[in-house]
Amino acid sequence: MISLIRSEIYKISKQSKTLYALAAILIIEGFVIMSAYYQGAGIIDLLLDNLKDSFEFRGNLLNGNLIIYLILNSLWFHIPLILMIIISGFLTSEYKDKTLETVMLQPVSKLYFILSKYIVSIVFTLFIVLILAVTTFFISYWIFGYGDLVVYLDGLNFFKSDDAFYRLIYAFLSGSITMVFFSVVSLTLAVILKDATKTWIVSAIFLICSNLLLKIDFRNEVINELFFSKLTDSWQYFFYYEIPYSTIYFKNFMLLGYSILVMVIGVLIFKRRDIQG
Amino acid sequence: MKGLFFLSIFLIGLNQVCAQEIDNDLLQIKKRMDSIKSYDAQIKLDVDISFINMPSKYGKVLYKQGETTKVTSEDFIMLPKRGLDLTLNEIFKYPFITVNRGEANHKGILCKVINLIPTSSKSDFSIATIFMDTKAKRIVKSEISTKMEGVFTTYLDYKNYADILPMKIEVEFAVNSVKIPLRFLGKETEVDRKALKQEGSKTGKIFLTLSEIKIVK
Repeated sequence: MISLIRSEIYKISKQSKTLYALAAILIIEGFVIMSAYYQGAGIIDLLLDNLKDSFEFRGNLLNGNLIIYLILNSLWFHIPLILMIIISGFLTSEYKDKTLETVMLQPVSKLYFILSKYIVSIVFTLFIVLILAVTTFFISYWIFGYGDLVVYLDGLNFFKSDDAFYRLIYAFLSGSITMVFFSVVSLTLAVILKDATKTWIVSAIFLICSNLLLKIDFRNEVINELFFSKLTDSWQYFFYYEIPYSTIYFKNFMLLGYSILVMVIGVLIFKRRDIQG
Repeated sequence: MKGLFFLSIFLIGLNQVCAQEIDNDLLQIKKRMDSIKSYDAQIKLDVDISFINMPSKYGKVLYKQGETTKVTSEDFIMLPKRGLDLTLNEIFKYPFITVNRGEANHKGILCKVINLIPTSSKSDFSIATIFMDTKAKRIVKSEISTKMEGVFTTYLDYKNYADILPMKIEVEFAVNSVKIPLRFLGKETEVDRKALKQEGSKTGKIFLTLSEIKIVK
């Protein structure tokens, strides 16, 4: 099992798609930073427009913490989309290149093989989120400096710089669980669909639907609390003025449960299916 | 002849109105405030607006005669546009007349109430009501109707009877709900426009607490 994991890690490190993923993340960061640099002051102005009649403002809200928050919001769509495309490719490329058949000719357990794929996918996801977080914090603070964070969530919430720093770190940690869920789903879709293009399309549709369903009120408390799409926003809860820790723990715990369930489904399908490209 | 007589009476009356003096108690208070050459103090700011969550902010307030009051802080702070003019310089910037409105009770203190009506179009307020504690020679409440920024009501609390500067200042004002740029939204991308319209303007308050006040006379 460990040798399979090592071999998967080696494959990923040698594949160009890993570099593409890292490049895509840096490009997203670059775009957010550029747009914040040129339009950030305008956004803040618009946000505080109605308060200008009564208040004078001292201090800079267009700072590193705000930029990190804006980049963090790429966890809604951009980052999971990139992850789903790359990770599904871990398996679909093996189907396409028929390397899977070659591997299966070796004395390799199908269970361990697919499990190693899932494990490496999770590790890769966590690595990408870590890279995103580290580069975001470093670049944002370097260019924009420190300062209070303002977020619109149930009103205008202002956080002191050090408080914002911890909230942003926790949000990245919580967001990584959501990213793991989407990665596991994409790998399971790859198991089911085998074909790269089909998997990308279905993964993108899954992500879009998940985002849309998050905003729909099902008028049923159980569905509203337990449906998977309702659990993918836990990282945003760190920006409520009073952090609802119990909600965050619940959502993350449930989402981990869903991830395991999806993984089990993928493993069972892979085990029972004949390996054919 | 009769017309000339009435015209003379009218002109004399008009002259009396124009020459209306500024309330003596207000002048006394202004004179007392003018005795301050400079002051500095630590300041704590708390905001009470329904749609704003902000922790207590700390800073330093500095005043030098002939200059505007400055507030500095390492944090982002929101200062009310009115309420920090403790030396009454902004009010006295342009000429005005005062009208005595009698007496009123404010927090157990019998206060003299006057209206300030600017006589210059340059003045940024249209009318102000001042509640003066004439015995302690200080202002305890003011309502300033500005031309552009709405009405600001300021309550000033003093620690000791002899204190010239307040320890607590509460500024009340009307404030409109925020406009939200969609791209900036976090979790809730939907905007309840109806609710926003219905909300209209709300009353906001800001509390300023001064400590370690150092006055140079």
